[in-house]
Amino acid sequence: MRASGKRLSLGGLLLRLGGYGLLALGGLLTLAPFYFMFVFATHQRSEIFGFPPPVWFGEHFWTNYQILVQKIPFWRSYWNNLYLAIMTTLPALFFCSLAGFAFAMYEFRWRERLFAIILATLLIPPILNLIPFYLLIYQIGWINQPKALWVPAMAGALGIFLMRQYILSAIPKELIDAARIDGCSEFQIYWRIVLPLIRPALGTLGLITFIGSWNRFADVNVIMRTQETKTLPVVLRTLQGATDVEWGAIMAGTALLVLPLLLVFALAARQLMEGLTSGAIKS
Amino acid sequence: MRKAVNPAPSPPSAITLAMRWSNFQRRYAPYIFVSPFFILFLVFGLYPTLFSLYMSFQSWTPSDGWGRWKYVGLENYTFTLTDPMFWRAMWNTLWLGFFSGIPQHLIAIPLAFVIHMVLGRFKTLVVAVYFLPYITSSVAIALIFNTLFATNNGVINLVIAQLNTWPVLGWFLPDQNINWFLNSTIKYGIALVVIWQFTGWNTLLYLSAIQAIPKELYEAAAVDGASRYQQFRYITLPLLRPMMFFAVSLTIIGNMQLFEQPFVLLNGGASSATQGGQTVTMYMYRTAFEWLEMGTAASIAWILFIFIGILTYLNNLMFGRTARGEA
Amino acid sequence: MKRSLILLALLLLAGLGLAQRTTLTVAVFPNLDDSIKAQIPLFNKKFPNVEVKLVIQQYADHHNALTTALATGQGLPDVAAIEIGFVGRFAEGQGFEDLNKAPYNADQYKRLFTPYTIAQATSADGRFIAMPVDIGPGTFFYRVDILQKAQVNPRDMTTWAGYIAAGRKIKATTGAFLIADAADVAWINIFATTPANQSPYFDEKGSVVVDSPRFVRAFELARSIRSAGLDAKIGAWTNEWYDAFKKGTVATQFSGAWLQGHLQNWMAPETKGLWRVQHLPEGMYASWGGSFYGIPSASKNKALAWELIKFLTTDREAQIAGFKAIGAFPALLSAQEDPSFSEPVEFLGGQQARLLWRDAARRVKPLKANKYDRVANEILSSALSQVLDEGKDVRAALAEAKRLIERRMR
Repeated sequence: MRASGKRLSLGGLLLRLGGYGLLALGGLLTLAPFYFMFVFATHQRSEIFGFPPPVWFGEHFWTNYQILVQKIPFWRSYWNNLYLAIMTTLPALFFCSLAGFAFAMYEFRWRERLFAIILATLLIPPILNLIPFYLLIYQIGWINQPKALWVPAMAGALGIFLMRQYILSAIPKELIDAARIDGCSEFQIYWRIVLPLIRPALGTLGLITFIGSWNRFADVNVIMRTQETKTLPVVLRTLQGATDVEWGAIMAGTALLVLPLLLVFALAARQLMEGLTSGAIKS
Repeated sequence: MRKAVNPAPSPPSAITLAMRWSNFQRRYAPYIFVSPFFILFLVFGLYPTLFSLYMSFQSWTPSDGWGRWKYVGLENYTFTLTDPMFWRAMWNTLWLGFFSGIPQHLIAIPLAFVIHMVLGRFKTLVVAVYFLPYITSSVAIALIFNTLFATNNGVINLVIAQLNTWPVLGWFLPDQNINWFLNSTIKYGIALVVIWQFTGWNTLLYLSAIQAIPKELYEAAAVDGASRYQQFRYITLPLLRPMMFFAVSLTIIGNMQLFEQPFVLLNGGASSATQGGQTVTMYMYRTAFEWLEMGTAASIAWILFIFIGILTYLNNLMFGRTARGEA
Repeated sequence: MKRSLILLALLLLAGLGLAQRTTLTVAVFPNLDDSIKAQIPLFNKKFPNVEVKLVIQQYADHHNALTTALATGQGLPDVAAIEIGFVGRFAEGQGFEDLNKAPYNADQYKRLFTPYTIAQATSADGRFIAMPVDIGPGTFFYRVDILQKAQVNPRDMTTWAGYIAAGRKIKATTGAFLIADAADVAWINIFATTPANQSPYFDEKGSVVVDSPRFVRAFELARSIRSAGLDAKIGAWTNEWYDAFKKGTVATQFSGAWLQGHLQNWMAPETKGLWRVQHLPEGMYASWGGSFYGIPSASKNKALAWELIKFLTTDREAQIAGFKAIGAFPALLSAQEDPSFSEPVEFLGGQQARLLWRDAARRVKPLKANKYDRVANEILSSALSQVLDEGKDVRAALAEAKRLIERRMR
């Protein structure tokens, strides 16, 4: 880790201490908004905007929670969030690994070209598609239906890419050939041989997809038109009204939205970060 | 399918059928396996994209009824390109792209270097902390910052007031509480949020690039008596160029599409500072879903697309050649 | 025997059928939701089998969602609340039922309402798309304690020059600001000087008039207050705004009468007894805010929706319940005759404020709504902010605003 650790001079020591200080300060700045989110979730508005603003937990979380469930269909939105995330993740794992397997393990005509197309679609700025996508969903009558959000995301380019990379590195071609000689059909090879071997990569892709879906906003906001079908980020934003905004309640809802991801991240930070950077860098 | 391997007990006709199937599935499996992506992309990606190109030459509002477009030629484009509100949004976008983009990298590169130099065991933990905002919902982040940006007693203004009492720093900071929700100030607030959210991501990118630099290079430099700064300046920075090119490209593409942070901070367009902070994507969104001018909104999307293309090209000119040369 | 059993079963079934609850979806924005929540129990006394389901969205979201839903015909409620800034847009579209026509025949009810509201909900081709539920007679709030301390007589503030002079005195003696945001002075002037049968921003023919002298004067008044340092530069509906009302750092406020409800219920309940109201300076009368209920044509329960709207808008008891809940001033004239209207308002130090507001409401000229009111409002408020915050020339800002509004009207 230490590039020139052999020469620990006084200057080096100071530099090191300065480095620690800098990192600590940066970490503090990064964590502070999360901290205040949790603190504000336990205070009433008058306290949040009073002087001095609260820096420690209060006792109004329950009140805030009550306001939240009274003003919005909170758990319904939460369930919508979860449902969308699961419905996006499971098919994505299947279709991405299937396609990744094909690109990694088969020789077929146009393979390189098809793969290049997939990578090229990553360059299309997604928000530009928002309006035509809405029109399409409107045209086929899928407004207000969750499938409008998860069906198009079933086979994402990034997922296929990650899967291909992993399968290339983790599965020897000989294994596939052996399975074929044993009489496995191509799909059986995928299902019985490949899938069990790529579990770590599936885990990473699953996490990435789940988090991405959990945080979705712009397209959900456009496609889901009723409170029963909206996801939590969309519904939380509607609380930010023109009058009488209960910021304590909003912070409580935000905390409950962010919390599961913080927990997931705490458990799988390394895996996630490696997956995300390798996906970004190699493409 | 099992029978295909063990054909002996089967009648001859079954053999050929099974063998045919076996051949068929072997031959076409890869195409079938990759087809879901292409089917979905054709339906939900390519078709809408092409349709929006078509739409950008039409005048249509949903209440006209599906299919009742009116061809208007280039009118949507000329309208948008002569629309002061559009240019204000474009100015906001470029401003935000620059002032929320550059600091991310100016912080992330030294930060990654410091992490690499001084941290051993706790590296993952520290990077994870910095990375946390990246995986957090932008809406949640904007809502949190909305409370932190309060004019009186807002945490951010209180911190600024505190820093103001320090020597030197005080010269650069305003004496009064900043109202972050004015046409003239909202952009700074949005930029702050974006910097906070994405610096960790860039740090991670740069860190992975720094880790790929061979240790021997530093060791050799150290033997030659190069200081830490010199190592950073003459080894790390040049070798980071490809990653800079890549990370800056991502930032450009991302920042030109900034939507959720301004949308939430501007209360969906209901704020009185909307004109001072709304980005092109937000303006496009409002054109489509508030004013229901779908054709005009489509033209905005395409104009923005061209802008992103130009900026990516310029970035390519600046970093690209050396990046590829050393990659 | 068998037959009578069958008959009994049929009757039971029919009874069940009758008892089946119908659900009416009503889309509202805050804080109209608090008002209708107080009215629903009363409605259910008359219609016990109707369940009213509220869809509550933030003000701008509510209207934008309604706009998109109307355009696509999907996701529409049975009854939709419409705020005054949007009523023109929805009147000019085709998505709402024309209540003039059968089976609604709303013509018979129009004389029951504060007259100026009717024209707002009527389209250029004469369709009447929504019934008024509450109105916002513009009014002038002041803190009697601050004025006393500064030895300012509220009567000194019956001209705008006098108002500004009083502001200087207040600032000098008490340190309090005259008003939270100078922009509100511009708005009340714009609303109050709107000629009869026009929208605030458009004339009868629909031409943009934001560069006319009344806008120049409104902007200049606001600017002179800002440049004299008399306003606290606090935007409406921010925490600083609430704080200023609570702590008494601002002495006056212009708004619709509904602000009293907000102040009393949550914004600054502790300032009870310190506020007073009076008519606007220079004999001005303005409409500031107001809400309507209409029926989207795609509704599947139009008959019941109409019953609900009729109840909410023409039932005196319901109107008073809404009034008591949030202080939304009833649009129904007979509700304004309720004895509670002459009761002293504790929050306003026992003033008979409702009579004053009723008087103001009856003097407001009939107003038209325009399809582009909302976007004109947004552009104008941006122009105002440029004048106040960035020192832009008033005439230049208004000329630019006019151009921007005209561009949107294609």
